[in-house]
Amino acid sequence: MLAIKIWNYLKGYVIIRIEGLALERLLNLALTNDIYLWDVKRLNHYQVEVCVSPKGLDNLLELVKKLGCKEEILEEKGLPFILERIKRRKPFVAGFMFFLFLIFFLSAFIWKIEVNGLEQTPKDKVLQYLESNGISSSKPKMSISEEEVELLLLNEFDYFSFIEVQKKGVKLVIEIKEEPLPPEMIDREYPTNVIAEKKGVITKVVARNGDALVKEGQIVNQGQVLISGAMLTNEQEVYLVHAEGEVYARTRYEATVSEPIIKRVEKETGRVFEQKGVKINKRGIKFIKDIPFANYKEYIREEKIFDWSIIDIPLKLITYEYREIEVQEARQNIESVKQSNQLKAIEEINEKLADDVEIIARDVKHEIDGNIVNTTVIVEAIEEIGKKVIIGD
Amino acid sequence: MMKKNIENIKANLSEALELPMDIALDLPRITIVGSIEVNIFNHKGIIEYDNQIIRVNSRIGIIKVIGSQLEIKNILSEEILIVGNIEKVEILS
Repeated sequence: MLAIKIWNYLKGYVIIRIEGLALERLLNLALTNDIYLWDVKRLNHYQVEVCVSPKGLDNLLELVKKLGCKEEILEEKGLPFILERIKRRKPFVAGFMFFLFLIFFLSAFIWKIEVNGLEQTPKDKVLQYLESNGISSSKPKMSISEEEVELLLLNEFDYFSFIEVQKKGVKLVIEIKEEPLPPEMIDREYPTNVIAEKKGVITKVVARNGDALVKEGQIVNQGQVLISGAMLTNEQEVYLVHAEGEVYARTRYEATVSEPIIKRVEKETGRVFEQKGVKINKRGIKFIKDIPFANYKEYIREEKIFDWSIIDIPLKLITYEYREIEVQEARQNIESVKQSNQLKAIEEINEKLADDVEIIARDVKHEIDGNIVNTTVIVEAIEEIGKKVIIGD
Repeated sequence: MMKKNIENIKANLSEALELPMDIALDLPRITIVGSIEVNIFNHKGIIEYDNQIIRVNSRIGIIKVIGSQLEIKNILSEEILIVGNIEKVEILS
């Protein structure tokens, strides 16, 4: 019903009121003349209201005249009539076109530059550098190429390890990852915080500049501010400084490796059972027989029945091969399992450890849970966890 | 008599072949949905149209739909869709 309504709307229709006496006759005549009528409302014994398509209207009016009835067009509905009306309103159309044009025109510019991921470099510095090279907001999108911006930034800031420039709508989004800067290269004019790179227990705080917020023995989480660059004057006003200092903390690394004592080893016995099937296109027909093995592996081979080069007939013969396997259980030496687990766990931890780390404790725990040996290695180390991050927006 | 025989043969044949009766015998098909809608296929024109009574001609006689606020929603040469509060549908042959 909805589809018909939409169709009628698109084609347009007319609501018409007909006055007369032989209205049933009129409807029957309309039927025989193939005039499609709908929503026929009987108002009273001499009036009827009908909907009719513009095409049927002319025929209907002819009939109305023939039967001596009177008609009155009440409403014209649908898309064609709306378009007709719009055509008469030239300024409106012009305004609409102008509006569309404005949207297209304005969206062809970059209106905002977003820089994400900066930790050691002030955002202003990057933006200023870009502007001095002709890349700023309110520049046409066409004139900015992503690769160019990437190259430009890489050349200027050689410690950027990753740059991705994307045009997202009217925004230019620049994603940056930095490598840690050597201390002498850090610009001391900008306010910074020292934050924790890792979770740990503080062992030593040396704040050369800024306000140390943590004490010895305190547990800090990743990202927590250790030395703040926001300081208070005697008048209780906040001013920002370039916080600096070293923070040492005891950090903990843990790795767990599990390995079963009794290992299942699968071995083929050499007994093979085959069964055939046919495949047409993607659908397969399998001639089901019982597989006489308890443990087996399935291999499927396909070959074309008609291997002609001219036409490709999608008929394939399939061979299902079942190879019997024997599951053997191999018992491993518990001590050797423990040792190999420990080695694996330590290797795992070593990958995570930084170079200049002082290891103060190492703990190895073995736990036998049924068939499985769980080995946990915990390493405690003392290392610098402070990381300078620019205070910004 | 002859005509009656042909009708019988037609009816038996369509029953045997499981053909729809309304098509084989050119009968009107009347579908009533609850008490809100009557759909008549294969009609032969409107005789009377009123808010309370609609009479439609068909091959088997006059189909009389009685109710209130009746309205012809759709009218085609093969089909009439009547909506409203339907109280009675009579076939007067």
